[in-house]
Amino acid sequence: MNNGLEEMTMDQIEKLVRRPALYNNVDGVGELGLGFLLLGCGLPASLPIQSPIWHKWGSFVWFMVLIAVIHYGSKAIKEHITYPRTGFVEYRKQKARRWLSFTLGGVTAIAAWGLAHFARSHSDLVGSHWGMTTPVALIGLVIVVFYVLHIVSVVRWKWAVAAAMAICSVAIAMLPAGVVGGVAGSTSAVATLSERSFGAWLLTITIYGAIFLISGGISFVLYLRHTQPAAETAE
Amino acid sequence: MNLKTRKLAELDRVIHEPGRLMIVALLSAVEQADFLYLQHETEMNKGTLSSHLSKLEDAGYVEVTKTYRGKIPQTLLRLTAEGRQAFAQYRRRMKEAL
Repeated sequence: MNNGLEEMTMDQIEKLVRRPALYNNVDGVGELGLGFLLLGCGLPASLPIQSPIWHKWGSFVWFMVLIAVIHYGSKAIKEHITYPRTGFVEYRKQKARRWLSFTLGGVTAIAAWGLAHFARSHSDLVGSHWGMTTPVALIGLVIVVFYVLHIVSVVRWKWAVAAAMAICSVAIAMLPAGVVGGVAGSTSAVATLSERSFGAWLLTITIYGAIFLISGGISFVLYLRHTQPAAETAE
Repeated sequence: MNLKTRKLAELDRVIHEPGRLMIVALLSAVEQADFLYLQHETEMNKGTLSSHLSKLEDAGYVEVTKTYRGKIPQTLLRLTAEGRQAFAQYRRRMKEAL
């Protein structure tokens, strides 16, 4: 970045306006949180737990604990590591943006549910295997596109992360039906989704979670290496 | 004087200086940020950054609050409503002029 000694172009100004939003993941904590969330959702779902108490309360309590750990863990890292090293930022609370996020999340969830049920009820039409795993792979690729637009455009080495996610999505879609179905075989969620659909979801969530965790972990280590806590001098 | 030149001449000189433009652009996207963050993002030294912030504060574009985070002194900076309006107008005029 220039030191403000030259004239700035409109493009540079717009890039500067976008920079604070990217600062949120400067330490990799955003990706670490997402990784924990996906793995935290994927791993218990893959366990062969048949207890009705677990399905009624256990999974809910687990999810709440997971959210609390991610929320307070991220906050603690920001407070004790990020802010003393590269500074504090408080983001604007924009109602419209929050509603947009809720709407996008809702639409994605409904689309995923709809695709899964369409694939289940039209398995003869869309092919018994491809119809089950392709929608999951497509949603995975949509996530990759969002990741490229928001993260990769700033941190170049994250191209490798995006490529790994894209390859995994395609690979999951191409896995033999027996393997994908086998992943979900002993779980009770197959009552609502087909084995292959649920298996594809489970694989995607778990692999993406692991990739986000590794990528966030590398970012965090690099951040610690390249930054130092600021000296306490007058400003 | 043609329209383009007139638009450029109408630009807010306080914001148009590149160092201050960087500060205002960064602050426009957040509620508030501290001195360390601005120093890290702009790569300016403390003296230069302080000088630019003083000018922006004098113009009524930036509000400076001295506080503590635990036992560590912290300088929080936020764009005032006037500052946001001035930056929005600056962007609009720049787009029209270019």
